[in-house]
Amino acid sequence: MATFFDQVKEMGFKQAFVAKSDEAVERLTAGMNISDIRSALRGDEPRRPNPRLRPHADGFWLHIRPSFYHNEITRVYPTFHLGWLSTFMFVWETITGIFLMIFYTPSPLIAYSNMWNILSNVPLGQLMRNMHRLGAEVMVLVVALHMLRTFVTGSYKKPRQFTWVTGMLLLVLTLMLSFSGYLLPWDQLSYWALTVFLSGAESAPAPPVINQNILLILQGGPSLGAGGLLRWYLLHVLLMPLLLGIFFFVHYYKVVLHGFSLPPGREEIGEDSAKRVPKNERTYFIPDILTSEVMWTALLSLFLVAGALWFWDAPLEHHADPVVTPLHVVAPWYLSWSQGWLKLAPKTLVIGFIPALLVAFIVMPYFEIGKSRRYADRRVGLSIAMLFIAFMMVSNWMGTPRFRVQSSPDMEVATKLLPQEGVSPILGIPPDYLWEGEYLPGQVVDGNPHLTYGLEVFAQQMVRHSCTNYPGTTIGGSVLDDCEENDHRMPDPYATMTITQVQNGLMGIDINISALDPENPDNYLYSLNWPSFRHVDSNYEEECTFINKRC
Amino acid sequence: MQVKVAIGTIALMLTMVILGYSVLREPTRLEHFAAAELGRSIETGANLYNNNCANCHGVDGKSEECYDSASGELIGCQGLPLNYQPLLCGDATDRMIAMNWQGTKQAFIQSTIASGRPGTVMPTWSDQFGGPMRPDQIRNLANFVLNWESEELCSGPVITFDWAENVEDFLAAFPDGDGANGKALFVTYGCSGCHGVPDEGVAAAVGPDLSAIAETGATRVEGQTAEQYVYHSILLPNDFIAPECPNGPCAGPPSAMPANFSLRMATNPQDMSDILAYLFGN
Ligand code: HEM
Repeated sequence: MATFFDQVKEMGFKQAFVAKSDEAVERLTAGMNISDIRSALRGDEPRRPNPRLRPHADGFWLHIRPSFYHNEITRVYPTFHLGWLSTFMFVWETITGIFLMIFYTPSPLIAYSNMWNILSNVPLGQLMRNMHRLGAEVMVLVVALHMLRTFVTGSYKKPRQFTWVTGMLLLVLTLMLSFSGYLLPWDQLSYWALTVFLSGAESAPAPPVINQNILLILQGGPSLGAGGLLRWYLLHVLLMPLLLGIFFFVHYYKVVLHGFSLPPGREEIGEDSAKRVPKNERTYFIPDILTSEVMWTALLSLFLVAGALWFWDAPLEHHADPVVTPLHVVAPWYLSWSQGWLKLAPKTLVIGFIPALLVAFIVMPYFEIGKSRRYADRRVGLSIAMLFIAFMMVSNWMGTPRFRVQSSPDMEVATKLLPQEGVSPILGIPPDYLWEGEYLPGQVVDGNPHLTYGLEVFAQQMVRHSCTNYPGTTIGGSVLDDCEENDHRMPDPYATMTITQVQNGLMGIDINISALDPENPDNYLYSLNWPSFRHVDSNYEEECTFINKRC
Repeated sequence: MQVKVAIGTIALMLTMVILGYSVLREPTRLEHFAAAELGRSIETGANLYNNNCANCHGVDGKSEECYDSASGELIGCQGLPLNYQPLLCGDATDRMIAMNWQGTKQAFIQSTIASGRPGTVMPTWSDQFGGPMRPDQIRNLANFVLNWESEELCSGPVITFDWAENVEDFLAAFPDGDGANGKALFVTYGCSGCHGVPDEGVAAAVGPDLSAIAETGATRVEGQTAEQYVYHSILLPNDFIAPECPNGPCAGPPSAMPANFSLRMATNPQDMSDILAYLFGN
């Protein structure tokens, strides 16, 4: 073959350069030169032999993708592109995750300040963190929806049972990846979520020796500390992605091996014609499928970037504190159902039930062997699935803080207004509007709409937890209707909020609530002083603008 | 397919535009977050201070108003003032110079909190030295203390007073002690919280009874008159520990008596003269 210099001599530099580039592109794409790519993009018919098949035969990346699909599965239904989008989310998480790894050390001494450093000192650090965290939640969602669709279209049936098995492993790994990352910021949210999770391990239905040793391994010592953080970090950045990568390839291999299942109504019952696609019903991967995948990828990227920038904000609470138990420990939404179940059944039962359920899901295709994939023939199965989804949603709701045991009413009011973590209508008041003084719930402060709004919420809360039309409130009616008519309410309470300047730039906000015991008027039934501080630079008001943190 | 190419290209370009926009706003955003981190650290520090430090250093850090953490009663402040010019003002503050501290102010405050002050009632706080607090908490506390530095605090003159060695020399400079005012000061300085009110028969609670101090004072330290002994003990309570307290032998050194009266009375040394007049009945 002629060297580059020979070519330059022969046809001049420009021509030689073009020829070499063409050659390089052909090598990189494993078979398509520049004019092939352009013709594919224009939508021309391929030349013979079809160069668009060669990347599938000779290239690494495309050899795990089929070179053509059946026309019927190229539209949004039946795949909804969810399998591909799951793959994309994994890549997305890997890239943003590596960025975050650069600035993170898994040590309790420094992990939390690393998080603040990412937010306050790393250019685009907050965006990366938001994208990684939002991406993690979207990935769980996308993978779960992908599972739902393969169930609904009956794609788990013979011969694709093992595809389903590897898929289930991928689902578990996705959940574990998300959850193991949850611990890393080492704030109150992550610390206590993991602590609760670990306490589950302790009450598994197994001999105490086993439970205790599992717990010891998972928390890296007698209590969750440096050892535990390091272990969960390694799980998150090493073991889980590695396992996911391995099963990902098995899954893809099986998918290509069996071909994509056609929409259920397209085949004879019991037949599987995915691998026998007549020539006139084929859609080739290059360029059609590829274009559509790239389009969906671009749209999802746009959604993730815009979401992470404007609409959704990763939480960061106070530093993890083993001696301060938060009022409510919140599991991430994709595990909230387990907290809901704990309210329904004894712990040991729930902890034992979860792995049993998992195994049931994994082996399901080997027991559910009805021949037909058609919806009309699978009424029972589909109904069970819908019931299960409804049950999971209710469980999830039961696991949220809204469905929980109430603490004392004065604490409920105080923590609603000045929570230990997160934002609130009072914390959302811009610092310029935190005017010193003593205020009553529902008081209208002239020229200060923000404070007035905070005090209105204060009044609503007082009404809710006392069922009396609180003096000075303009509200009543509707709030009074859904007040907590139970033992947990304050008879005729008195409440104030005091704002004082403590230091330069530091305001003290105190909530005082008291109620006398009607049967013994010398005694206080409730008496609470709830002090809190607010620095002018803390910037809670900005947090209030995100959909997942509203004030 | 052409439509898909168009949609994909537009989405990609929009994403790039958004990323570009976020790069532009980055400098201001970073500044806001740096300020927010410090702000939130100060907030947390304020909570820690209230729960752990205010009972010795006072609610506003001036060592003037201290409440017992268990009973909530007003007690004498045992700690030095922190909301205090010589501690906080300037890069190398007076206090750092006096202690021969070469590092930064932040490190000075942080390491003092972390290790405590041996020989005084200031305990060790850091869990790295056996105390109860994590390093991040120490940092929050230091940020809170440093936030007392303000123009208002630092623009005024430093008030110190060069206390005379001998009570005679002092009284020569500040004669005419007013016993009645001294009695009032005895309460406002917090002395009565531990020593009771001698001339009203309110018994001492923690510190030695002072009703007969005019006689017993002369027996404490060889070569010191009663007046010299009381004067010296108010200024330097750790030098001599009295033998008898209401709950057995007095503890110390360090003495349970606050060591900050020499600072607190510096603004108005006549107070010392008045208190002596009250205790010695003239
Ligand atoms: C990280 C997680 C996962 C990735 C990256 C992934 C990827 C894919 C891809 C790219 C396909 C091709 C068809 C399509 O796009 O729908 C596919 C098909 C399939 N997946 Fe997954 N998947 C994941 C998780 C799961 C889960 C959780 C299940 C179910 C438990 C599952 C079961 C299946 C089945 C049965 C098929 C065959 C569908 C057919 O032939 O029509 N996968 N997967």
